[in-house]
Amino acid sequence: MRFDVVIIGGGPAGTGIGLELQRSGLDCLVVSEGLGLEESPRREFVEAGGTLLQGDTVLGGTISEGKVTGVATRNLKGTPIEASCYVLATGRFFSKGLISTMDGIFEPVFGCDVLYDRDSTNWTNPDFYAPQPFEDFGVVTDDQGRVSIGGRTISNLFAAGEVLAGKIGMQTGIERVVNAVLGRK
Amino acid sequence: MMNEYDVIIIGGGITGVGTARDCALRGLRTVLVERFDLTNGATGRNHGLLHSGARYAVTDRDSASECIKENRILKRIASNCVERTDGLFITLPEDDPAYQDKLVEACRAAGIKAESIDPAEALRLEPSVNPRLVGAVRVPDASVDPFRLSSANALDAAAHGARILTYHSVTSFIKDGSRVVGVRVKDTRTGEEKEILAAMTVNAAGIWGQGIAAMAGARIRMLPSKGSLLVFGHRVNRMVVNRCRKPANADILVPGDVVCIIGTTSDKVPFEECDDIRVTRQEVTALLDEGCSLVPALANTRILRAYAGVRPLVASDDDPTGRRTSRGIVLLDHESRDGISGFVTITGGKLTNYRLMAQMATDLVCRKLNVDKPCLTAGLPLPGSERRLNPSRADAVAFKAAEGRHGTMVKDMDFSHKSEVLCECEHVTKAEIAYAVKYLDVHNMVDLRRRTRIGMGTCQGTFCIRKVAEALAEELGCPQKAEEFLDQYVRERWKGMAPVCWGDSLREAEYMRKLYRK
Amino acid sequence: MQDKNVSVNNFEQCLKCDICSSVCPMLAANPRYPGPKQAGPDGERYRLKDPAYYDLTLKFCLNCKRCEVACPSGVRIGDIIQTARLKYGRQNRPLRDFVLADTDLTGSLATPLAPVVNRALGCRPVKAVMDRLVGVDSRRTLPSYSGRKFVRWFRESAAHRQLGFRRFVSFFHGCYVNYNFPELGRDFVRIINACGFGVHLLEDERCCGVALISNGFGAQARHQAEINVRSIRKAVSAGEPVVGCSSTCIFTMRDEYDHLLGIDTSDVRDSILLASKWLYDKVESGSVKLVFKSDYHLKVAYHTACHMNKLGWSVYSILLLKMIPGLELIVPEQQCCGIAGTFGFKKENYGYSQEIGKSLFDTLEAISPDIVATDCETCKWQIEMSTDLKVMNPISILAEALDFEKTQKSNIR
Repeated sequence: MRFDVVIIGGGPAGTGIGLELQRSGLDCLVVSEGLGLEESPRREFVEAGGTLLQGDTVLGGTISEGKVTGVATRNLKGTPIEASCYVLATGRFFSKGLISTMDGIFEPVFGCDVLYDRDSTNWTNPDFYAPQPFEDFGVVTDDQGRVSIGGRTISNLFAAGEVLAGKIGMQTGIERVVNAVLGRK
Repeated sequence: MMNEYDVIIIGGGITGVGTARDCALRGLRTVLVERFDLTNGATGRNHGLLHSGARYAVTDRDSASECIKENRILKRIASNCVERTDGLFITLPEDDPAYQDKLVEACRAAGIKAESIDPAEALRLEPSVNPRLVGAVRVPDASVDPFRLSSANALDAAAHGARILTYHSVTSFIKDGSRVVGVRVKDTRTGEEKEILAAMTVNAAGIWGQGIAAMAGARIRMLPSKGSLLVFGHRVNRMVVNRCRKPANADILVPGDVVCIIGTTSDKVPFEECDDIRVTRQEVTALLDEGCSLVPALANTRILRAYAGVRPLVASDDDPTGRRTSRGIVLLDHESRDGISGFVTITGGKLTNYRLMAQMATDLVCRKLNVDKPCLTAGLPLPGSERRLNPSRADAVAFKAAEGRHGTMVKDMDFSHKSEVLCECEHVTKAEIAYAVKYLDVHNMVDLRRRTRIGMGTCQGTFCIRKVAEALAEELGCPQKAEEFLDQYVRERWKGMAPVCWGDSLREAEYMRKLYRK
Repeated sequence: MQDKNVSVNNFEQCLKCDICSSVCPMLAANPRYPGPKQAGPDGERYRLKDPAYYDLTLKFCLNCKRCEVACPSGVRIGDIIQTARLKYGRQNRPLRDFVLADTDLTGSLATPLAPVVNRALGCRPVKAVMDRLVGVDSRRTLPSYSGRKFVRWFRESAAHRQLGFRRFVSFFHGCYVNYNFPELGRDFVRIINACGFGVHLLEDERCCGVALISNGFGAQARHQAEINVRSIRKAVSAGEPVVGCSSTCIFTMRDEYDHLLGIDTSDVRDSILLASKWLYDKVESGSVKLVFKSDYHLKVAYHTACHMNKLGWSVYSILLLKMIPGLELIVPEQQCCGIAGTFGFKKENYGYSQEIGKSLFDTLEAISPDIVATDCETCKWQIEMSTDLKVMNPISILAEALDFEKTQKSNIR
């Protein structure tokens, strides 16, 4: 299956980007593991002609020469899925965009570089109502929203939404990726 | 002027409520004062293990014999609070193989039925135990719910005329010369102060008994020992699983209600820290490592929270260094010990022996008051435990869960009007909340949790606490307090969640923050 | 890597977000059903403590798996509920449940008598008896039985034509094709042959067992599943994928055998495929070419069956249908039709069944297509009974639209 853009994550960031790009004439696939807590424009995305895989998981991608060349999902095993651009919008811990163990935190789809405190006793603040350090952890991106793996920037893999490290707002993150993807065309 | 009461009991732990019940059953006019809620101290922060005594058999035969006697009594009188799980002591290849025979021998001497079984039989009885085991001993350990047990004692004390004053802190003693004649208390919720007079005062304040005694002019030296535990998300084991070796850290896994609990660590802590103890990462790691060698499945089981309690160990009176602890139950007659009459202290001991401790304290109180009434607590079932129940398949889970928690008291719940399930993890309905408010002395969400298990399940209240806070505030007739209830509860849950925040627990934490952060 | 506190106990990954409840068709229609979260992960913790916490209201679960598709934590909620039913739900079940569940038995008995049975099943007095004695609702149109089983047709009229091929697929025809609607099987064989592949039947095919599972007949289901898996393994080791037209049969064999019946299918699972997926992948990879008629016109609404939704494969049927020039395709949002296999046939469930499906029926009628396409035969019965619309499997639509002659020529090797 070939698309212009494959977006991993069906939350507000993923479907938000999908909707904008689909409306801009690109053919988009959104893979959504489950429904999220937040409202997201899924229906609008599908009505705009986008393809939505609901209840499916991207198991991983192939990367060659600093580019993602394809992804595989659990349900569509045996069917290669390819695109020119890929967007990681998998959210933080709740939606399993980041996986934490006692010793560390990783990004499970591509193994993107993640910013977090190596001392896991610092992940929480003892006061529930204080800002919680774990809410700022996430994947590292450059100014166009591109992620890196092992320190190397991946030229066609962008990230947006809560999976991002730091405090980049939802809308800022979406616009950054939409502009970057449209700019590449 | 005639006193309103014969006896004042300070402390709403299991020893205090047990003593209140015993005193009330013997016809004494009894009042219990507790500065927070019932079971706020060590009573509510342990394994919930009803010892068979096997754990102490090798090192302390007297404690072991006491335990097995009380174990049998509680299985009878508190059937609704006790689950007859039985227990295993498993020997792993790295353990001293001679210890198993020593244990069986010592159990026999203490009157505890202990049988060696082969590893295959142990695995059949309890499939979760480490399959590397080389030997096992089966003993009559059981699991006990300390919240329910305390609540049932308080209910029965009240039914026999005792007054239970929670959220009443003792501010000073009223003395007549060297005689204690009563206490001044402050209602911590309203700020109201009052005097309570009685011929006898019993200090059952656990670790805080040191301060209470000091207030009365007596010196007790407590040696606080912190014990940390982890709660897992579901029941991995059916039986209590112990390590067959000299008692050490993290060597008991107890199935309690729908969860299981691994514990404990043991570390001396300064007395000043007793009011705010937190579990450290080192303790969590130690508990997990040791726990996984008992039951390997724990490595892949979700941890809900960590908590810690302080054992009320008392320095021996006959040790001038004050470092050695007294073993077993400590009953101090301050008249003969310190020249302070009208005042006794009951401390030490353990959850399993609470009834015996209460009996000993009450016997002394009766002697002082020249009352000659026998102790009845070993024979009379506690409220809710009058008969065994057999829920039917047609009943909703919420009804069965309430019946499991409150036994025959479920008759006082109005399921026809308030059947809506609020806490879905633990299947707690509005009816159960209304019942707890009406009968079980509930003033906030944390109290309610101890009576009902509300918010103690998988999500630690994330899903339901707003609804529960509103329902509770309504039942208490103070709807404006819902937000305050919620706030207090979230902070209390967070204390236990933060030390184990990774994996699914961190996912839950993020969800909780999304819903409740301000 | 430290894995502690990272649960492999699937029900523990539930964060209690309750998204599952918001998509459960039964919860919306029936206040007695506690919903997927309570019946599934919440109830499981209590059942682990004591099986006495099993609750009879679990019988209302449709096993549609919509909860699983919606769950952001990957909890197999439907599996947890079905497993509890199989494990704890043993009870005296009415004869009716067995009649509905054992589709092979019922189908075999009915086929030789098809004209009689069909008239009998359609006429009022018999339906009234079924209603009262057996508990099958009299308002329901019962599936009609074909006079000649598919298998018989295949052996008599098609088997010899398969000899000329070098590549094969094994066809899992299922009960519906065999007893009720052999036309679909004939369409399948024609298409596969036109693609240059021969068709084999499995050495021994039994009903996939979905109805036995959902009616709690675990042992019988396991027996049939083992026979099927044995036959499938034989086909797969001969290099033949096993392909079917019914999303529910395929889903059951791929997932339920392993998750609910504890049968290890890991070696063959990837080779159990729905016809539309098999065809799509072949066309996409360039090894098969489809040539369509130039004058074919049809307005189609594609209904994603719940198990198709769970498989995640509606995309294949949709993309395949989109290949047909002159076909206008509308894909409304996925909804449950309410039939849920045998569930909707039971007298006590008729009301729930129709209430659940109502929104879908309205949506489809508003689209007013020439044909509704769906990969599930029970959805077809339900939609045809509840609307004036005609329903077809995408394979049959494809058979109508294909230019067989040109397709065949394009695929000669």
